[in-house]
Amino acid sequence: MAGLDPAIPTGTAPSTGAHPMTAPYLQAQGVEVAFGGLRALRDCSFTVGQGKITCLVGPNGAGKTTIFNVITGFLRPNEGHVTFQGRSLDGLRPQAIVAAGIARSFQNLRLFVDLTALDNVMVGLPSQPGEEPIGALFRPLHVARAQRAQRERAREALAHVGLADKAGEFVRNLSYGEQKLLTIARLLATGAELLLLDEPASGLSAGALDGIMALLRRLQQEGKTLLVVEHNTRVVQQIADDVLFLHQGHLMAQGTPETIIADPALAEIYFGGAL
Amino acid sequence: MVWLQLLVNGLVTGSALGVVAISFALIYATTKIFHVAHAGVYTLAGYLAWSLVSHGVPDVLALLLAILCCTALGALIQHQLYARLERRRATHLVVLIASLGALAVIQNVIAAVYSSNILQFPVPWSSRVVTVGTLRLNWAQILTVVLSVLAYAGTMWFAHRTILGKQIRAVASNPFLAEITRLRPQRIYVIVVAIGSAIVALPGVLVPLDLGLQPYGGVTPLLTATIAMIAGGVGSITGAFVLAVGIAVLQNLSLLVIPGEWSIGVTFFIFVIFMLFRPTGLFAKAR
Amino acid sequence: MDFLYSYIILAEVYVLLGLSTNLLVGIAGIFSVSQAAVFGVGAYLVAHFLMAESLGFIPALAIAAVACIVLNILVTLPALRVSGDYFVVTSFGIQLLATAVFTNWTNATGGANGLPGIPPPDVFGLPIESTGQFVILCSVAMAIGGLAFWLLMRAPFGRLLRAIREDELAVAAAGKNVLRAKVSAAALAGAFAGSAGGFYATFLSFVDPSSFDLDASILLLTMVVVGGARTLAGSVLGPFLLLALPQVLTLVDIPTSIAAAMRQLIYGVLLILFMLFRPQGLAGEKL
Repeated sequence: MAGLDPAIPTGTAPSTGAHPMTAPYLQAQGVEVAFGGLRALRDCSFTVGQGKITCLVGPNGAGKTTIFNVITGFLRPNEGHVTFQGRSLDGLRPQAIVAAGIARSFQNLRLFVDLTALDNVMVGLPSQPGEEPIGALFRPLHVARAQRAQRERAREALAHVGLADKAGEFVRNLSYGEQKLLTIARLLATGAELLLLDEPASGLSAGALDGIMALLRRLQQEGKTLLVVEHNTRVVQQIADDVLFLHQGHLMAQGTPETIIADPALAEIYFGGAL
Repeated sequence: MVWLQLLVNGLVTGSALGVVAISFALIYATTKIFHVAHAGVYTLAGYLAWSLVSHGVPDVLALLLAILCCTALGALIQHQLYARLERRRATHLVVLIASLGALAVIQNVIAAVYSSNILQFPVPWSSRVVTVGTLRLNWAQILTVVLSVLAYAGTMWFAHRTILGKQIRAVASNPFLAEITRLRPQRIYVIVVAIGSAIVALPGVLVPLDLGLQPYGGVTPLLTATIAMIAGGVGSITGAFVLAVGIAVLQNLSLLVIPGEWSIGVTFFIFVIFMLFRPTGLFAKAR
Repeated sequence: MDFLYSYIILAEVYVLLGLSTNLLVGIAGIFSVSQAAVFGVGAYLVAHFLMAESLGFIPALAIAAVACIVLNILVTLPALRVSGDYFVVTSFGIQLLATAVFTNWTNATGGANGLPGIPPPDVFGLPIESTGQFVILCSVAMAIGGLAFWLLMRAPFGRLLRAIREDELAVAAAGKNVLRAKVSAAALAGAFAGSAGGFYATFLSFVDPSSFDLDASILLLTMVVVGGARTLAGSVLGPFLLLALPQVLTLVDIPTSIAAAMRQLIYGVLLILFMLFRPQGLAGEKL
C-alpha cells in the first residue's frame, strides 16, 4: 500500500503502515476525482484502521476535503472505490452513508445558526418519530413522548463535549470554540462510529485546542474511529496514531507522525510548497 | 405555404425574443439574480415610446429616449434594491421576492396610468405590408429582425472585444477573484443591469409596434426568454439567442396543429424536455 | 353583518392558503408564484363534483386535496433536483399554463365566463346555507388547518425543515433525506391549497380564472411576507390584513377602473419594503 509518488524521488523508506489487519476498516482504492480539467484526486488509495486517530495532512489543495466528500457520498468519484468494514460505499447517498456509520463535519462548521444548540444536535439524531408529516399530524402524543427521550440523548451528546449548560443558546451566541464543539456533538448524535473531522482545531486558542485534543482522545477511548484533517503539526504529533500525507490528490506516504514529520522531502512539500 | 409564413413569423418573434434572452442572460450570468422585474422594464420601454410618439416626438428619438429611461431604471433597481439586499446578506429567496415586487410595481403603475386595455402604436408605416412571393411581412416585423440581429452582434462584440465587456465576463466567472483584483463587482453589477435594461428596451419597443401594448404582457416573453437561456446554457449569449429563435419557430409551427391559446403549453413542454434530458443546456461550454 | 361575515369567511379561506404558501415558501424555502394555480385546481374540482351532484362536499374536498397533493409533488419534484432558479421558471410556467387551462378548457371550466351556480356545501348531509353557518364551517376548517400547522412545526419534521432552509448540505451530512422532506412540505402545501379552493368555490358559488391568476399568486406571497414567515400568527395575520385593504381603498377616492391595479401596486410596494426593511414580517421569522 502507501508508497511514494514515483515522480518525487526521495531517500525515505515508504512508511508502510504495518497494520496486521485482515479486512481494512475503511479503504479507498484508486479514487479519481476530476472537476473539468482539474484532477483533485488521482489514484488515491489508503486505509484507516479501526479505533485509531488518523490524521490527513498535506498542503492546501491536496484534496483532503475532496476525500471527505467522496467518502461521505457528496461527490461521486470518476474512478475507484471506497469500502467500509468490507462493504462497498459506491453510489450510496449521504444519508445512507451516515446510516452505515460514517459522519463528517465541515471546515466552515455549517451549523444551523437560527436554531438552539440543542436543536442543532437533535437534527442529527437518527430515526425520530414525527420526522415525517403523517406521524407528526396523527400521532402527536407519541411524538411528544419520543421527543422527551430524544432530548435527553441530545443533552447527553452536548454534555459529552462540555456544552451541557449551552443547550438553550442560539448558535450565533456561542463562541467559535463552542461552535466547533457543537459540530462534534451533532456528529455524535448521528451514532456514527467513524467520524471525519475537517480541521477541528483550526482557529482555536491554546486552551480550546487542548480541550479539543482531549475530547478527540476521549472519543477514541470510547471506541470511535477518527479521520481528521489537520494543519497544526503539534496537534498531529499529539493525537495521531497514523498519518496520511496527501499531495496533489495522491497519497504520498502513510505512517506514524514521527516518520512523516521527520521526512525532509515531505516537509519540503508541506512547508516549501506553501511559501 | 402556411408553414412558410409561420416559419418566418417565428423567426421574427424569435429574433426579438432572442434579444430579451441575451439581455436577461447577461444580467443573470453576472449578478446571479433571477431578475424577474426585467419583464417590467421590457413592458415599460414600449409604453414610454408610445407616449413620446403620441406627443409628436420623432420615432427614432422616442426609441432612443425609451432605451435611456430603461437604462436608468435598471441601474436604479440594481443600486437601490439588489445592492441594498446584498449588503444585508439577504437570501436568494428574499431577492427573488423583492424582484417580483418590483415587477408588480412597474406593471401596475403602467396599468394605473395607461389602463389595462391594449394600445396600438400611432405609427402608420409600421403596419404597411411587403409581399415577397406568398410571404407577407410588415415593416415593424422587418425592422424587428434587422435591429435584433444587430443587437445580438453588438452584444457579442461588446462582451468579447471591449474592456468593459471583458471585465463583466471576469466578474461573471468569479466575483470573488474579481473583487480581490479590484474590479469592484457591485459597480459592474449596476453597469450590467443598466446595459441589460438598455438592450431589452429595443424589443420592448419593436414588438408592440406590431402586436400592441399590454401592461402585463412582459411576463410570457420573459418566461420564454429565460427558458431559451437555460436551454441554451447559462452564460452563452449565442446559446440564448439561437434557442429563443428555435423556440419561437417551434411555437409558430405548432399553430398548424395546436390552437394559439395553448402556445405557453408548447413553450413549457420544451422546457420540461430540456430539464429531463439536458439540464445544463445545449451551449453550456461554448463560452 | 353579512358583509363582515363574508370578510371573515374569505380571510379564513386565505389563512389556509397562507399556511400553504408558508409551508412552501417560508419553511421549505421554495420560491413559488403558482400557489394560486393549485388553489384553482382545488376550486374547479370541488365545483365540478358538486355541480354534477356526484359527490358530497366532504368527499369532493378530500379528492381535491389529494389531487393537489399529487399536483404539487409533480410540480416540485423535478425542480428540486435541479438548481433553485429553474424552479422560478417552472413556477411561472405552471401558473401561466394553469391560467391558460382555466380560460380555454371551456367544457370543464366555463372558460373566461367561469362556472356559476355551484351548490352550497353540506357536511355529511347537513346543508350549509346561511352565511352564519359558513362562518362556523370555515372557522372549523381554519382551526383544523392551524392545528395541523402547529403540530407539524413543533414536531421533528418542523425542525428538519427549518434546518434545511438554513443549510441543506449540513442536513444531508446529518443523515437526513432532504429531498423527501421538501417534497413532503410541497405535498402538505398542496393539501392546504386544494381544500381552500373547495371552500372558496362553494362560498362564492362561482369561480372564474381571474381568482387564480398570477396576481392571485402574488397576493398570497404578499400575505406571507407581510404576516411573517414560518409562524402560525403570521399566516393568520397576513390574510386578515391584506383582505381588509380593498375596503380601506374604497375610503380613498380612486376610480374603479384602476382599483385593481392600485391594489396590485400596493402588494408590490409591500413586497419590496418588507424585503428591504422587515424580512420577518409583522409576526414571523426572518425569510
